[in-house]
Amino acid sequence: MMKYLPLILHNISRNKIRSLLTSLSIAMSLFLVVTLSSLLSSQDEITERTKVHNRVAVLHEAGLAGRLPIAYVDRIRKIPGVACASPMSWFGGNYREEKTQFPQFGADARTIFDVYEEYQIPAEQLADWQRDKTGCVVGSLIARNKGWKIGDKIPLKGNIYPVDLELTVRGIYDGDSTVDKEWLLFHFEYMDEALKEHYERIAGNAGIIMLRVESQQKVPTVMQTIESAFASSDAPVKPMTEKQFAQSFTEMMGNVRGFIRYTSIAVVVALLCVAANTMAMSLRERTREIALLKAIGFSQSSVLGMFLSESVLIGLLGGVVGALGGKLLFAAVDLSKILPGLGMFYIPWTTALYGLALAAGIGLFSGLAPAWRAANLSVLEGLRKVV
Amino acid sequence: MVPFKYNLRSLRARKVGSLMTIFGVGMVVWASIFAFGLSAGLDKTLEIAAGPLDVIVMRKGSTSEAVSAVSDEVARDIIALPGIATNRDGRPLAATELVIFGYLPRRGQTQKVNVAVRGVLPVSRELRDGMQIVEGRDFRPGVREAIVSRAMSERFQGLGLGEEFEVRGGMFRVVGLFEAGGGAVESEIWTDQSVLAQLTNRTGAMSCVQFRAASKTDQERLINRIKADEQIDLNAMTEEQYYAEQAQQSMLIKIVGGMVAFFLTIGAMFAVANTMYGAIASRAREIGTLRALGFGRFSILLAFLLESLILCTLGAVLGCLGALALGDIRTGTMNAGTFTEVVFAFNFGPSVLLSGALLAVAMGLIGGLMPAIRAVRMRVVNALREV
Repeated sequence: MMKYLPLILHNISRNKIRSLLTSLSIAMSLFLVVTLSSLLSSQDEITERTKVHNRVAVLHEAGLAGRLPIAYVDRIRKIPGVACASPMSWFGGNYREEKTQFPQFGADARTIFDVYEEYQIPAEQLADWQRDKTGCVVGSLIARNKGWKIGDKIPLKGNIYPVDLELTVRGIYDGDSTVDKEWLLFHFEYMDEALKEHYERIAGNAGIIMLRVESQQKVPTVMQTIESAFASSDAPVKPMTEKQFAQSFTEMMGNVRGFIRYTSIAVVVALLCVAANTMAMSLRERTREIALLKAIGFSQSSVLGMFLSESVLIGLLGGVVGALGGKLLFAAVDLSKILPGLGMFYIPWTTALYGLALAAGIGLFSGLAPAWRAANLSVLEGLRKVV
Repeated sequence: MVPFKYNLRSLRARKVGSLMTIFGVGMVVWASIFAFGLSAGLDKTLEIAAGPLDVIVMRKGSTSEAVSAVSDEVARDIIALPGIATNRDGRPLAATELVIFGYLPRRGQTQKVNVAVRGVLPVSRELRDGMQIVEGRDFRPGVREAIVSRAMSERFQGLGLGEEFEVRGGMFRVVGLFEAGGGAVESEIWTDQSVLAQLTNRTGAMSCVQFRAASKTDQERLINRIKADEQIDLNAMTEEQYYAEQAQQSMLIKIVGGMVAFFLTIGAMFAVANTMYGAIASRAREIGTLRALGFGRFSILLAFLLESLILCTLGAVLGCLGALALGDIRTGTMNAGTFTEVVFAFNFGPSVLLSGALLAVAMGLIGGLMPAIRAVRMRVVNALREV
């Protein structure tokens, strides 16, 4: 087949506009399919990669809205197999006049960077934060987007809790692509003392407790021990692995997976029609040529192969632009500037390659019927045909 | 002018190609309408929920009822304010309401999600127009009974008529199903306020106060009055405002929907351009003949634009019919404003269908323009000579 390559390439480039338009329409649609799929697959891949840290989230049995007593943190720390634990109390405050919220957690400054061991913060900044009761640390991404530097004041207006916080940036953490760099972490005690003054009833809520288990093997036993330790208390708990915890958020969004699938199927079917149409058009114009090829001795299968390779190549071209181009685009553009919370979004290699394969598949199937017709063309009729 | 019949006949002459393009455009329109219908459905649900004269009073800084608290004394003061509408018995149309998070699994799933459970007074019912029990009976005060919307009962485990579900350790029996014209109330579970307050140890304060003002001017005056009163120290807003802010929180759905429509439309434009280039290339002699007969450049341009418009309009019709054939799809997602599940139906109303059709018109015009320009720039002599 390789020896026909120049001929195939020549055929593709003889109607440049047509090949270009077909490839571009495949590229546009694949960009969309790959981006939509990545909304889920990038998250799956990140949670898969963070599995090595053996983290477990402990929630109230009644979900995120339940009150988890802060005293549970110390009790969980004593459970064999638990390396370290910290409360992560969602504050949900508003910064200045901004309507949208970003993640703010009340945490234990001594242990939180031990639980999230891959989150990197300079030792002296961490020490500064630990010393300052009203200090906080922020992720590098949110710091850049909001223009925060060390020493800046960050006022947060309470929404879930009726208290306002006046925080000072003491450190900025960073890390690889699995690290969420859009958090703000402050001292749990700072929020809790403010609450105790006026609202004793809602004080002392750890929200969730995040812990790290010593080793992979101990994760199931530790989860079981925790669940049974609090089973008969006022606040029974539900431990989840970090992965299950992340998935529970996707679940909340409803049937996202289903909708992405339906849209993608519609896109692929539309593309098949469009690409098949173009292939049919371009082969119809070449009916006489095809007949000539066969007349000089080209076999049915080589004619079939030649035209199928042509349509696959056009599809692949679209795939390279759409899927791989999309990957590069999202690698270069910082989405968190436009849509806070999507700072970690990227197109995983597996999804990009799947898009590429899809493009080749669209090329193949769209060429099938026209190429079949070309291969089975009767030489006589073909030669006689006026197009 | 080139007769309209010419376009129709040309399309018919290239039956397969035309049908493929129409089908491709149809799928793109369908996918866009699907995406628009999702976000429009959510918006509509929140829009229906708001009564024009209704006011909601919450703690300052709270953005949703579940995290708000209003003490009973202050609530009494508010309900006694002049300017609140009264019912037939002369009682003010105002009620304290208690909203807490329930945590229930959807049918067929094990992962639980947050749902709003509302503890109400008898007058609360009168504050929701169009709410009526369609099956079973109302809950009795003082016992753990609840009514849920038909949509919720289909969506969640334990919410079927006669079934039982758990909220904060208490078992409630579903004794009735209601409908409320598709508003946000249809995403809630209703039960007796005192029962819910007792179960959750809420004393002295409910979540919010809702009331209906007697007139628009009363509404404005009351809102200003409550906001200004330092004794009351609460925030009041119209229900319209309250739900509009919630709709705003669901930006991600809108952005994804817009992205789907945008990229698919551009992709389809290329495809339409391709079809039209093909149509024009194979009709070069015809075009030359038309020109020789004395048809002007402009009328030929129009004729080809019209032809691509016909293709796309037929595609739009197909796409709209396809969307309507889906019928009444109900779904649910997390309301980002309240953090609870909101159940809603896709909205394939006139404005959604129209925006899908407008996309098709854009495809036809922009996609057809370049090919049409090529058609008019052909030189008559060359065109006639073409085989």
